[in-house]
Amino acid sequence: MDLSLALARNPNAAYRVYDGKATIVLPEHAAVHVLNEVGSFVWDRLDGQRTLATIVDEVAATYEVSPDQAHQDVAAFVAALLEQKMVRQP
Amino acid sequence: MATETEVLRTPQGFGGVGSTSPESQAEGLYSDVPPCSDDFGPFCPTYGDHSLLLGFGPIRLRLEGLSARQAALLMQRYGRFRATGGRVTARVRLGPARVPHFLYHRPGVFERYRMERRQDGRTLTLWSYEFAGRLDVEARKADLRLVEPEGVLHDRGLENYLRVLTASFVLEAGGFLLHGAGIVRDGKAFVFFGPSGAGKTTITQLSPDDLVLSDDLTLVVRTPRGYEAAGIPFGLAHHHVPESAGSFPIDSFNMLVQAAAVRRTELAPAQALAEIAGCLPFVMQDTAQSARGLDNVANVVWEVPVHRLEFRKDASFWNVLTEAS
Repeated sequence: MDLSLALARNPNAAYRVYDGKATIVLPEHAAVHVLNEVGSFVWDRLDGQRTLATIVDEVAATYEVSPDQAHQDVAAFVAALLEQKMVRQP
Repeated sequence: MATETEVLRTPQGFGGVGSTSPESQAEGLYSDVPPCSDDFGPFCPTYGDHSLLLGFGPIRLRLEGLSARQAALLMQRYGRFRATGGRVTARVRLGPARVPHFLYHRPGVFERYRMERRQDGRTLTLWSYEFAGRLDVEARKADLRLVEPEGVLHDRGLENYLRVLTASFVLEAGGFLLHGAGIVRDGKAFVFFGPSGAGKTTITQLSPDDLVLSDDLTLVVRTPRGYEAAGIPFGLAHHHVPESAGSFPIDSFNMLVQAAAVRRTELAPAQALAEIAGCLPFVMQDTAQSARGLDNVANVVWEVPVHRLEFRKDASFWNVLTEAS
């Protein structure tokens, strides 16, 4: 995963963060997704401005995990979001 | 640490379609016929000059362009929901279609009920096999073209279109239309939701002495007294027609899960939001409506408890529900 990428949430996605968890509706797929707390943290930062490297650093600092672990988890998560067209390159 | 994304549920649409439509063969048309601007407008014919005002929850729909026979038939079906006043939410003008179908359904082939939509500025056009409707969102006027003047195709087209309009308009009033059964016991509404096959109809059949608002689609409305549940008259042929046009304070939402024993557990707010959002029909194909739907559901979840209800096919679930309330 290229950490210099700055991915953005799918602009068609409607989402609300409630009780620390993001509920996301993708109209083109008519599907409802729920992210856990860490996933919601990452989702909230996929604004097309922050790079993945920045997000990895923020995850590592906030959740007190090693940079390698954060990198691995964020990469896997973002790959799943890309596959489901929930994020895209701006 | 782990991140995850989980697809909870596809928001519900219509059921499957297994019927045949021989009229399309007669015309030699074997493909979809999307509506165009010629299908709508003030110069398109109507069936007649009769009208009927329907009211349910905060919604007032005025059906216009009816023939005398259509008005009489609709009064038979919807008479309980006839309204005499209130601000009209939208006017729907009915008239015959120029074509035998809009979407084509190959006879004998099962397919999930399809419905297409197109938004052009302030105009929203919806069409399916037996209807095409164009709504001027700002003027609150809709033009509905039906392939039959009465009968099964007419009823299905009319009711499906009105269901979609209802689902859209109730969002503006802070509520939503839920794929769920509504049952009133001791003056309080219990809402049971879940996808097709979850047990909504079963639950209503296990409650013979209670007031059933719906076994399929229940309207959740915001009132000065709090959130209330109401039925809508558009049950199609195979769904329960509400026994009351009134609305009732909601005791709880209950997500149905069939099990060997009865058990009820409260859902965490975020999960409750997602589970209910996954059962909002018709509105989740549009980003703005999805966002509004999420807001409305979040507000409801804040005020009304949402449970996961494991139940077996007898009336014992009522013991758990009424004890808790």
